[in-house]
Amino acid sequence: MDLGRQSIMNKKQLKFVIGSIVIVAAIGYLVVTGITRTSVYYLKVNELLSKGDSIYDKSVRVEGKVVDGSIKKDPTALKVDFRITDGTKDMTIHYEGIIPDLFEDERDVVVEGKYTREGIFKAHTLLTSCPSKYESADKSHPEEVKKI
Amino acid sequence: MNEIGELCILLSLGISIYSTIVPILGIKRGREEYIASAENSIFVTAGLITISSVILTYAFLNRDFSIEYVANYSNRDLPLFYTVSAFWAGQKGSLLFWSLLLSLFAAVVVIQNKNKNRDFMPYVISIISITQCLFLLLMTFAARPFELIYPPEDGSGLNPMLQNPGMVFHPPTLYMGYVGFTIPYAFAMASLLTGHLGDVWIKTTRRWTIFSWFFLGMGNLFGAWWAYRVLGWGGYWAWDPVENASFMPWLTGTAYLHSVMIQERRDMLKVWNMVLIVLTFSLTIFGTFLTRSGVIQSVHSFGQGPVGYYFLAFLIIAIVFSSYLIVSRLSILKSNNELDSIVSRESSFLFNNLILVGAAFATFWGTMFPLISEAIKGEKVTVGPPFFNQVNIPIGLTLLLLVGICPLIAWKKASISNFKRNFLIPFIISIIGGIALMPIGKGHLMAWLSFTISIFVITTIVMEFYKGAIARRETTGEGFVKALITLSRKNKRRYGGYIIHIGVVLMYIGITGTSYNMEKEATLKKGESMSIGDYKVVYKDIKNNTPVPTKAEVIATMDVEKDGKIIATATPRRDFYKTAEQPISRVYNLSGLKEDLYIILAGFQEDGSATFKIHVNPLVKWLWIGGLVIGAGTLIAMLPDWKGKK
Repeated sequence: MDLGRQSIMNKKQLKFVIGSIVIVAAIGYLVVTGITRTSVYYLKVNELLSKGDSIYDKSVRVEGKVVDGSIKKDPTALKVDFRITDGTKDMTIHYEGIIPDLFEDERDVVVEGKYTREGIFKAHTLLTSCPSKYESADKSHPEEVKKI
Repeated sequence: MNEIGELCILLSLGISIYSTIVPILGIKRGREEYIASAENSIFVTAGLITISSVILTYAFLNRDFSIEYVANYSNRDLPLFYTVSAFWAGQKGSLLFWSLLLSLFAAVVVIQNKNKNRDFMPYVISIISITQCLFLLLMTFAARPFELIYPPEDGSGLNPMLQNPGMVFHPPTLYMGYVGFTIPYAFAMASLLTGHLGDVWIKTTRRWTIFSWFFLGMGNLFGAWWAYRVLGWGGYWAWDPVENASFMPWLTGTAYLHSVMIQERRDMLKVWNMVLIVLTFSLTIFGTFLTRSGVIQSVHSFGQGPVGYYFLAFLIIAIVFSSYLIVSRLSILKSNNELDSIVSRESSFLFNNLILVGAAFATFWGTMFPLISEAIKGEKVTVGPPFFNQVNIPIGLTLLLLVGICPLIAWKKASISNFKRNFLIPFIISIIGGIALMPIGKGHLMAWLSFTISIFVITTIVMEFYKGAIARRETTGEGFVKALITLSRKNKRRYGGYIIHIGVVLMYIGITGTSYNMEKEATLKKGESMSIGDYKVVYKDIKNNTPVPTKAEVIATMDVEKDGKIIATATPRRDFYKTAEQPISRVYNLSGLKEDLYIILAGFQEDGSATFKIHVNPLVKWLWIGGLVIGAGTLIAMLPDWKGKK
């Protein structure tokens, strides 16, 4: 094989390598910026409280169990105050929006929102999680994706 | 009866192990009759699993609650239609259903290849059989469909949310796609094993690929349609891990479907095609693993059992085996051609492929991110729909543009005149369209881009049909319409593909409508009203209704006004089932080509006031219409070739 031909070949291939790298880099860039801009911590109550100042006004997801008797519903407006616990610590949640059918005392819930300096968690999403069976699990769907 | 069902599964397992090993022995020892025997055992397996399935269906119809699966997924009140579909409503039955499909597909493959591809068939049979073994093993040890219990008075019933036509069709269509990809995968592996690496395996499985791709897509679409109608949150796609699990193989499958054309035409991208089919097959297994293991929190996982880990083990084996085969054949998988120009059909396909795989990767990364971040940083971090939208929208728009460009750009090296001929008019029209659409583009740059590119793509396709028909009319003297039909009939793959592309564009338009969604929620007293978009909705009344003893309905009636005229009476409902712990919202949806008015009765109080959530979702209907168009295009692309052609 003569060298001249080979270098032409490489030159040609180089364009494709560059083109492919550009595409891969663009997608990589989208993924990385997407993650940094949209990722949220998924924490337990005590993990959130131990974060200190760094957690204020960041979007977080917190899981916990609704404290028995803590639910204060406002029947006309679409909001509710309640406390959740992980067994060791608890915190107050203020949620505005449609309240899921399954929401009640002792239910495992996931809330998404921000922890404020007043020590109240302002949630924009309230999702009741169910035990694993396929059937009932579906119910949490509507709450999880609202407000997006 | 259940003993017979169980026995059939056990026998099938034995026979499938046999038909995994014997064909390989047949090759080793050069014994033709071994292979014939393996082919016969494929039929026997298909027969046995069919018997098993019939018995399970019969048990459902007979309300035989001594079978745990029947007791858990049906009850005496369940209507016939849903009693039959309860077969695949749960884990165990869906495994049997999967196994049934695979055994039937395998039988069809054996019949199709009775007199051809004799070198491939032993390996194909062996690979299909070992996949079948996975499901039979599961049904023998981990999830026995015929497990007995002490029969309860009545079954626990099928979740009312699953009692919807969308949920009847969603699992079978999806499974047909999942299972179908086993066939091209098996042929690809056979081609590696035999070292016969031409495009025979691709041509042989072309229809299987289109078939599987189509059903996988439709399965997703049925799921979306069901979610939209039943779940009542106003949307149809939430980037849930389970949805992603079936979206990823669809993406790589789409890439594969396109890149094989390059191999057929130009004898290139051989390694890439192998990688794509392995990836697609692996992702179908991976998706099943995700759904059934509970490793990623999802709203519709099947629960945490050992079942998922069987799939994980199988997945690892499949990946290691396939990768080893590809690597060991690298030297003979060399392309016989090379890419000439960066502006050519080949390279545009290559880029389309990279982008599709990139989208699959981004989706994978987002889905697995909680696990990845926990493993690396020790902190659980999740990403939600905003991530997937942010990443996939630019990727999707680039792909849409390529849908317009790829099919028309010249092979090898596109010239300026090729560009002018094919793209000048669409380009001008889309610019005009884009300018006309400026008012709705304000603040919705991505949506505006999507509409403008859609105009470009549709114009290219319409022009293709038009130019083809004109050329044919000139040479044959046929009328324009007749020319159009014969043209498509003589070149089904090409024009079927164009029609699929039109369907894809329509789906893009439907999805883009999401950018203009409106929603509002309010608690109204009787006689009060709320306005959204062009609509005014007046809450009239609420009442109880008990159509059947097991179900109570609470129905709100509302007048829907538009431009001062009452155009409909809306009746959103909440159903209370005896068997379900929570009520179910039944959405009222006034669906039109322009937009859907989607009303949910979110709650009600004793004083007669009620809370409503109302969405106006523009263009949603085009998503479903696009699906139908894709169906039509697929059918055309799959029809047998025109006889006069060769």
